[in-house]
Amino acid sequence: MLRVVVAALAGLTLTAQAYAADVPTEIKIGTLYASSGRFASISMPVYSSLKLWADLKNADGGVYVKAFDKKLPVKVVAYDDQSNTATAATLYNQLITQDKVDLLVADSGSVLTAPAVTIARDHKMFLFDQTGTGASFFSKDNPYIALMADPVSTIWPKPAADFVIHDGPALGIKKIAILYSTNEFTGTQANAFRKFIKDSGVPVEIVYDQGVPTETTNYTVIINNINNTHPDAVFTFGYAPNDIAFLRNVADVGVKFKMLFVIYAGLEKELLEKNVGDKGLEHVFTYVPPSDMEYPVNFGMNLPTYKAAWDKKYSDGKLEFGLNAVAGYTTGLVIEKALSVATSLDQMELRRAVFSLSGNLKTLCGPFALDETGGQIGELTPLGQLEPDGHGHLKFVSIYPHETATGKPVYPRP
Amino acid sequence: MLVYALVAGVLFGLYFSLVGIGLNLVFGVMRIVNLAHGDFLMLGAFVAIGVVTLIGIDPLFAAPLAFVIFLIVGLLLYWILVPRLQGSANPEMLSIILFFGLSQVLEAVTTIFLGTSERSIPSRALGTVFSTVKVKLFGGSPDSGGGPIEILGQGFPASWVIAAITSLVAIGLVYVYLYQTRLGTLTRAVMSRRDEAFATGIDVDRVSAAAFGIGLGLAAVAGIFAPFMFGSVTPAFGADATVTSFAIVVLGSLGNPLGTALGGVIYGICYMVVQTYLSSWADLLPYVLLIFILLLRPSGLLGRRVRVA
Repeated sequence: MLRVVVAALAGLTLTAQAYAADVPTEIKIGTLYASSGRFASISMPVYSSLKLWADLKNADGGVYVKAFDKKLPVKVVAYDDQSNTATAATLYNQLITQDKVDLLVADSGSVLTAPAVTIARDHKMFLFDQTGTGASFFSKDNPYIALMADPVSTIWPKPAADFVIHDGPALGIKKIAILYSTNEFTGTQANAFRKFIKDSGVPVEIVYDQGVPTETTNYTVIINNINNTHPDAVFTFGYAPNDIAFLRNVADVGVKFKMLFVIYAGLEKELLEKNVGDKGLEHVFTYVPPSDMEYPVNFGMNLPTYKAAWDKKYSDGKLEFGLNAVAGYTTGLVIEKALSVATSLDQMELRRAVFSLSGNLKTLCGPFALDETGGQIGELTPLGQLEPDGHGHLKFVSIYPHETATGKPVYPRP
Repeated sequence: MLVYALVAGVLFGLYFSLVGIGLNLVFGVMRIVNLAHGDFLMLGAFVAIGVVTLIGIDPLFAAPLAFVIFLIVGLLLYWILVPRLQGSANPEMLSIILFFGLSQVLEAVTTIFLGTSERSIPSRALGTVFSTVKVKLFGGSPDSGGGPIEILGQGFPASWVIAAITSLVAIGLVYVYLYQTRLGTLTRAVMSRRDEAFATGIDVDRVSAAAFGIGLGLAAVAGIFAPFMFGSVTPAFGADATVTSFAIVVLGSLGNPLGTALGGVIYGICYMVVQTYLSSWADLLPYVLLIFILLLRPSGLLGRRVRVA
């Protein structure tokens, strides 16, 4: 009998030692950022916001990891891809094969996420896609990806298209112009927008439909060409530098489009106010991002609390507060919640954990909901318009959908 | 549409002449490709942003300031870097590596101090000195500046016209320097045959230092207008500017600063026409022009005249 008890105790001791040896000292999160190059201004806020989440969690003793039933600190292993996709591909590989990170998080934006999608899939590593919304990333045969903080580009422009379809005819919108930058993010948005309009059968004619290279920073001639087609509404899909140049050129050549939609007037309003000025943004239609719209949360900080934390940590004014400054934190929240329900760090178990949050998690980015391919379909941004607030600044007026509308559209633009 | 594209192309092209002329002056005299050229342009842009932000005056006043600052920077850099470079076994190849490194350092340091975000200047700020003078002389509203300027019945950004006129003045001054001053004559002698110039007793180092300083100064002056021509600038802006400058310089003629003026205008017109009719392909233009000119006329459009002169 004594022998049996001793053997059992020895077995338990060995099991406990083996378990202790398996428990990591930290959770390694691998990611990339671009400190220079074309995508630095959208990458650095996302990375800084993810870091903010990690720092806050580590100050609190780490995140609860169900797989080990204990709190563990998180370590963000990050490299600078300098906005270069080739460099990004090498570094994503390095994170997986050399650093052996537990979780892989993509850099910001579709261009720098694109290399990660293939690499993650090849290594059977689940990709926490922060803001890469390109349609081609999400397919039924790729289980290794989910979009955290932006709607997938195939549905993102739906509120804008629905506005044209449902409210456009009454306003007199019969001819529209579409201008887009030829990359995965904005190209997909333009394609989706065009498809929504065409499929609706609404009597709206697309009188201008052109793509320009993403590097375009001069639109004077293009604006003149668009103006010659006499559109009732102009929809441009570009990155922040594109939108800054476009809006400045519109003001510089003295053209007044009846309706003008640009993406980043909303997503990075602070940045565009600095570069375009309030006058150039008045009455511009755009998306109303979660950085300017308070959603009820059931996990993490709400918008005012988070903004205060951001302002405290990044008080030097080098980073603007916009959608991207919220996106990294939202990714952190999804990671935290997923770790709290995943029974192991196996990549497919992490996927199951992330998908289990769909429809149940509400962060400051809005309700988290995934479709079967991992595309984000919950955090939709309404269509809004930037209007003077009477105190020398601009405010968002939500226009469409009508359920969330806070005002009526100003059309045509005065 | 074509007329608009052509006029816009001339204005845009004249500005690009200013962007490229400093690079060509440096190459013509020193046979060095300054791969940090675009980064000095970027620094010039931040000088303008600083002047407007801190002092609140017309960024046009930043042009002479930037020129003088970067002339001095150029002279200092020349004496620090170039004599050691010229003493090496393969100075031309080493210069490419060295200036590439300098470009990276300038971008990184600027990023550290100013961040990565886009920065700009309100369009109405450029040329306020003219509207102020106009108001004083003829009366009218003081905020009437900054609007479009009519050319052939079509509106063009006032900043483009001011940038194009400034470019013409700068190109004219480079012409005067090269053809009407003693240092300019010596500069042309060095550009023509560096070894012979050295053999005849010309202080090649002094001429080269002046050319390097003027080259950087001109880049910085071009940078003053960059926030208006490109919407905004970031510390990473320099690399693209260097590539476009290089294409323009080769188009006009490598080693002939005045050929750059022609190269810039041709580039500008081609860019605007392509943007009008084949907008998706517009960014390929510098490289396509580069390949065509190297295949059809490797010495550039004005190459022959310069070598003979």
